[in-house]
Amino acid sequence: MDRKSVIKWIKEPGKMGHKYSLWAVYFCTGCGIIEIPPVITSRWDAERFGVIPVATPRQANLFMITGYVSLKTLKAIIRTYEQMPEPKYTVAFGSCPINGGMYWDSYNTIKHIDKYIPIDGWIAGCMPRPEAIFIAVTKLWMMIDKGAATGYIRYRKNYKFYRRNQEKLFGELAWPPLYPIDEKEDESE
Amino acid sequence: MRVNKELKKRIEKIYKNTQVEFPEANRMVIKTKQKNLLPILEFLKSEGFRQLKAISCVDWIEEKEFELVYQVASLNSPLHIMVKVRIGREDAQMETIMKIFGNAQVYEREIHELFGVKFRGNPDLSPLFLENWQSIPPFRKDFDTREYVKDVFDKIPNVESENEKS
Repeated sequence: MDRKSVIKWIKEPGKMGHKYSLWAVYFCTGCGIIEIPPVITSRWDAERFGVIPVATPRQANLFMITGYVSLKTLKAIIRTYEQMPEPKYTVAFGSCPINGGMYWDSYNTIKHIDKYIPIDGWIAGCMPRPEAIFIAVTKLWMMIDKGAATGYIRYRKNYKFYRRNQEKLFGELAWPPLYPIDEKEDESE
Repeated sequence: MRVNKELKKRIEKIYKNTQVEFPEANRMVIKTKQKNLLPILEFLKSEGFRQLKAISCVDWIEEKEFELVYQVASLNSPLHIMVKVRIGREDAQMETIMKIFGNAQVYEREIHELFGVKFRGNPDLSPLFLENWQSIPPFRKDFDTREYVKDVFDKIPNVESENEKS
């Protein structure tokens, strides 16, 4: 730890805590998860960066979506994301969550993940190397420092739109809204 | 090989309108009619072919037919048997084979979902993989996936740009 960051620690200890203990929810979607075992084990050792996988979403604050997302998986992703405590950060890993990738004309794979949950960072590539995860983590540090990783705030603010998009795919959702949806505002628009 | 030929002779003798072929070593294809399917499967099971590996479906759109392929194997013999049945594409229906092979339930449920073939006698044909599906079954040849993507996924608006407008 250099001397410059001492001031940061004193000023905003909470933020520094979030920054250096990004606990990732162990959620596997698609083929990108094959890059995660070497990342968290001794070869690349993600714990140097404070990233460790945890078993439940309630302990996690980093969510990596590691590959194509089918409709059934999206349902689980939304439920997992809503269970995570704030502040929470999401990173889409690989080209499939960005624009569908090689599943761009598939009938059962969603094309743009950011229409359903907010995304803070994207890692492009098919597949990205494990080093790309560390570049993403350090970028995420910078974003947290500047206050730019605002995915969860956007989710709260635009929850009405996210929920509407989710309902367009699934029909009626089986769980109640996470945040209250103001119906009156809808009518006035 | 001699055993296989004897099996072929016996099947062709008992069941009419049935052709048995050997496309390659240890593969046997039985093409038959719809009403012969259950007796043939029962006969094969009594011969030791007790394992139903899969049921697959092929859409022959030009001939307006679905072809159901029942793959049966034995743990004691290297022979792999495919029983092929053709059914009409319009209002496709088939008898369930759950009485002979219990594990056919899930295979039939999947084919019902992806091709729209109804299996009479199967107690549970609810959707297995798809969510909120409102188009024709997706594995049919006349289903256009690009059209479907344009209709469903591309019409969902971006959240951020929407919010800036309002």
